[in-house]
Amino acid sequence: MGNYQNMQAANRNANGVNLKLLHAAIRFNAMMLGLTGGTVGAVVVYFATQTSIARWGEDSGNLLGLLAVFFPGYSVTSGGAWIGAFWGFIYAGLFSWLSYRLYGRVLGTRISEVLLSTTPSENPVLKPSIMRLHGISLGVAIGTMAGVGLFCSTAWLVIRGTASESVHAALLSNYIPGYSVSITGGLIGAIQLFAFVFIGCLLLAAVYNKIVEIRHKSA
Amino acid sequence: MDRPVKDHVILSAVFAKMDVFGLAVAAGVLCAVGLSLATAVLLLQSVPEHYPVGPHLSALADYLPGYSVSWGGAVVGAGYGFLAGAIAGFAGAVYWNLVHYVALGVMLISSAELAD
Repeated sequence: MGNYQNMQAANRNANGVNLKLLHAAIRFNAMMLGLTGGTVGAVVVYFATQTSIARWGEDSGNLLGLLAVFFPGYSVTSGGAWIGAFWGFIYAGLFSWLSYRLYGRVLGTRISEVLLSTTPSENPVLKPSIMRLHGISLGVAIGTMAGVGLFCSTAWLVIRGTASESVHAALLSNYIPGYSVSITGGLIGAIQLFAFVFIGCLLLAAVYNKIVEIRHKSA
Repeated sequence: MDRPVKDHVILSAVFAKMDVFGLAVAAGVLCAVGLSLATAVLLLQSVPEHYPVGPHLSALADYLPGYSVSWGGAVVGAGYGFLAGAIAGFAGAVYWNLVHYVALGVMLISSAELAD
């Protein structure tokens, strides 16, 4: 019994938060979001490819085919749609999983702020509370991932030696001033993209939380 | 100062449900703002006379009939953006809740088997 209490105490921080449970919770939800994001990514790539084939036939894939730079083996064909779905699952799943890990890390012990009500429910598992979004943590997490994603994509174009030919990637400078297909440009672009995504996440969280509060005011 | 977080709060946060309507509207608003801003940014940039404005973004018209890189197109794009975002938000929230229910079901079955 003494050992059990010692173990319980070792798992809690100075504020009495059960860190082991908190970290397990973050890992679990990160996995759930990874599965969700990965599935959505796979479905989007698969249907975008099939739509392109159905609409343009043999002429399809002028722009969508560029995905092959990042999706080895991908092409705008029926078989390529499955390969694209696989890579879509991997990339979107990894992005979502890492985003939630970061979100949970930034949120930390403020986890109670993502609940509409912290009143103990009869059963938090079978009668779940309604989730709120923490805008700043969400912005930091998704913004960081988007920035890292842009930098890695740009770096890949530079490493494979096609930076000068990447005219479509260079078009991003219309929206991200200072971006260019180079390591420095990728770094500047990553910082600016972080800022844009951060603002977008604040907007998303503000609208979502407002609707949740209005709809569940009586609860 | 951090409030002490009890175990039930952590458990509630893990299994908290996403508000499907809320996420659909929020994602819709975000995409509407995003697409209209993307159009507006191109329109506000100076381009030589008779030079096409935003030929790549204009390709969206293949999927979104009526859309163009123009001020009118920005409004049409906002409508389409809202629709696309709302569908994505709806699907994402439903799928998130569903995955949690399935995971919960698996855990309950596993714990029942262990109890046996």
